[in-house]
Amino acid sequence: MTLLRLAFRAQRTGLIATVLIGGLAGLLNSVAYVQVAGTTPAARAVFAHQMEILGQQLVYLLPRPVQLDTMGGYLTWRDLSTVATIFVVWAMLAATGAGRGDEERGLTETWLASGVSRTRWLATRCLAFLGVAAASVAISLGLTAAGAAISGDALPLGSVAAQCLPVLAITLWGFGVGLVIAQLLGTRRAASVAGGIVIVALFTLNSTVRAGADPSALKWLSPFYLFDRSTPLLAGGTLDGGATAAMVVEALVLAGLAVYAFARRDVGSTLIRGRASTAPATHRPSGDPMLRLAVLAAIDQQRGWIIGWTVAMTALGYFLSSLSRTLLDSFRDIPSLQVYLSAMGIGSVVDVVGVIWFSTALLIICIFAVAQVNGWAADDAEGRLEMVLAAGVSRTRVVLERIAVLLVAAGIVSVVSTAGVWAAAGTLGIAVPADRMLLAALLMLPVVFAVGAIGQALAGWRPRVAVVLITAIAVISYFMQEFGPVFAWPEWVQRTSLFVLYGEPVTKVDWAGTATLLGIGLAGTAVALVAMRRRDVGR
Amino acid sequence: MSDGASAIHTQMLTKDYGAGRGIFDLDLDVAEGEVFGFLGPNGAGKTTTIKLLMGLSHATRGAAAIFGLDADRDAVAVKKRVGYVPGELPQFGGWRGSEIVAYIAGLRGDVDDAAVEAISKRIDLDLGRKYREYSHGNKQKLALLLAFAPRAGLLILDEPTSGLDPLHQQEFYGLVRDARSRGATVFMSSHVLSEVEHVCDRVGIVREGHLATVGTLDQLTGIRAHHVRIEFADAVPADRLRALKGFDGLTIDGRRVAGLYRGSFDELLGAIAGARVATLESREPTLEEIFLSYYAT
Repeated sequence: MTLLRLAFRAQRTGLIATVLIGGLAGLLNSVAYVQVAGTTPAARAVFAHQMEILGQQLVYLLPRPVQLDTMGGYLTWRDLSTVATIFVVWAMLAATGAGRGDEERGLTETWLASGVSRTRWLATRCLAFLGVAAASVAISLGLTAAGAAISGDALPLGSVAAQCLPVLAITLWGFGVGLVIAQLLGTRRAASVAGGIVIVALFTLNSTVRAGADPSALKWLSPFYLFDRSTPLLAGGTLDGGATAAMVVEALVLAGLAVYAFARRDVGSTLIRGRASTAPATHRPSGDPMLRLAVLAAIDQQRGWIIGWTVAMTALGYFLSSLSRTLLDSFRDIPSLQVYLSAMGIGSVVDVVGVIWFSTALLIICIFAVAQVNGWAADDAEGRLEMVLAAGVSRTRVVLERIAVLLVAAGIVSVVSTAGVWAAAGTLGIAVPADRMLLAALLMLPVVFAVGAIGQALAGWRPRVAVVLITAIAVISYFMQEFGPVFAWPEWVQRTSLFVLYGEPVTKVDWAGTATLLGIGLAGTAVALVAMRRRDVGR
Repeated sequence: MSDGASAIHTQMLTKDYGAGRGIFDLDLDVAEGEVFGFLGPNGAGKTTTIKLLMGLSHATRGAAAIFGLDADRDAVAVKKRVGYVPGELPQFGGWRGSEIVAYIAGLRGDVDDAAVEAISKRIDLDLGRKYREYSHGNKQKLALLLAFAPRAGLLILDEPTSGLDPLHQQEFYGLVRDARSRGATVFMSSHVLSEVEHVCDRVGIVREGHLATVGTLDQLTGIRAHHVRIEFADAVPADRLRALKGFDGLTIDGRRVAGLYRGSFDELLGAIAGARVATLESREPTLEEIFLSYYAT
């Protein structure tokens, strides 16, 4: 029971994060639906028509739009597949943590040495994840159903319960994939990257199916295709029991393969091991000059990570730019969204590029900042901070250097990817002013500064809690920016969102918001400095 | 507070974690050029003391000075003059040894590449490999390299031989002797008495958060002890063994004799001379066993 309890505990943060994201997204989307689509059949028909036109352009990201004049149809299109994708990514990351992360920290070795069998060790982790995933899916969809009920457009509970099954099944599939990959690669980070590539590849495969292509039997490889086959929230829709069962069976097979591989390989090693290096030994320090320079040393060590984020963001930016015209045309034809467009300051396709790209980029950049805060917490837990301080670095310098590294790295990612989007918009015939784009990219840095400073202040207090809290701040800020205008929340409420303070700088710079963000950043940094000076360092 | 002749000076230094855990009222002086062994069982407060000296933890009360500088207030200046081996090795993941050394050297600014090369060759550490591929012993060697390469005036080493094989332990003792010969002070913790005997001028023994005793190795001769078990082939010279000084808890069971012996082995061998010995075993007891017998008598 102790082992199971520990396994549950390891998933605690993931449970909170997924409930927060999945539940909040479902709740807000269901409540917002009535606001944007209206309540009369006529209004909803207009809304559905326009969104279906838009939806045809979004098939690479979302399922084909069906029955958008109903709450169930809208949620199936707008919310569920996105939530399912988020859950798959979470499951994959949780699995690489269970299959490789614990091993890196020596936990696996300790438990195996205490007499726990390898099968039991991994099976317990699987069982705990099953319980946590089931709870997370049930709570998230429960909140979604609650939102629909609050809006006076309640969903049948049986349909909601049926919808839980494919979401849970695809989540378990993600866990199985992560667990197998963790047996093949030597580090959690490598396994997570490889898992991400597999998920993106299979998602893209299904996107081609959604777009009308037929890759014949190949499509059955994608769990996203299997997931799309169940539509219990639609009128006349059903749960595809076969497809759902197939995902569960695949998850079981993958978990079985992982257990088999784990039993065969050496602890601390990979299933397939390369030959030891025959390179002659070296006894000199690295000649890389960057390693000896403040700030740049950390940037140098993260170069692959920074390049990856930049490339991924640029690709996403290109895709979003390509949708701009369709989005604007669709939105203009929906009366309820006119208010939204006006509130967001969107009047032209250039504004759409600015709004869509920068609201998405800001969310991603904030996730990047959260990942950095997570790294700072790990620096302390894994003894690197102790070594840095022992080398004669002041605590003040540590705090300031972390912020500097974050700002430089985020600056590279935001400016380079924005330049890519600007170039892409140009090829699509959308002339976005370069100076406004650059300004908007640079103005993301005060948001990053605020997130990083809050994170660092919290990390000095409770490192694990810090990551959860700033994730929550970022997610809530994003939703407040998205839904605040729709629900016409008071301005002071909206301006508690970091994203709202950022504003829409492509169309109009909110200097007061920027000053507020800088103030938050400075205050957070001051608290972080005090906390860092006062605390004890070390494990 | 300042004491010019002391490399380390502590006054009522206390870190109280509650429930009796921590270090309490530590008064200690380590002279410049001295090699000082800080001995104690696990959980006695050795690492806590070292973290206080390094300014990584803040004292509940009292103070510590390194070369006359306050270990807490002047922590940055102190650490520029200290080489440090932590008790728990850090995780550097996919970094190569050479990158870690370059990074730490960049932070310190006083590390000579030639010194790095000389020491890494001496302890047989390949800096071209990734940190996560290092064995525990190699990670410990890297920590030693990072501590010794700057040629600091004071070396604070928390259980520095942990994970080293006997051959490399000898190399470590050589590094300590070399450091002493160039005038450096060494403060090293251990829980093995025989280890500090190799290199230390003086030893402080800490137990349950309190400094039990400080002295030279000669002064602490009485504390050294061995578990001795002898099996005789025929009659046991019981009277001669009972007459020996320092044979605590002597038990004679048939032809088997056992006890904790704290005395000269010449005298022990003299006492059993003439008797036919089938087997003779001697092993070093744990510090806790030594304390229990030493302070009980």
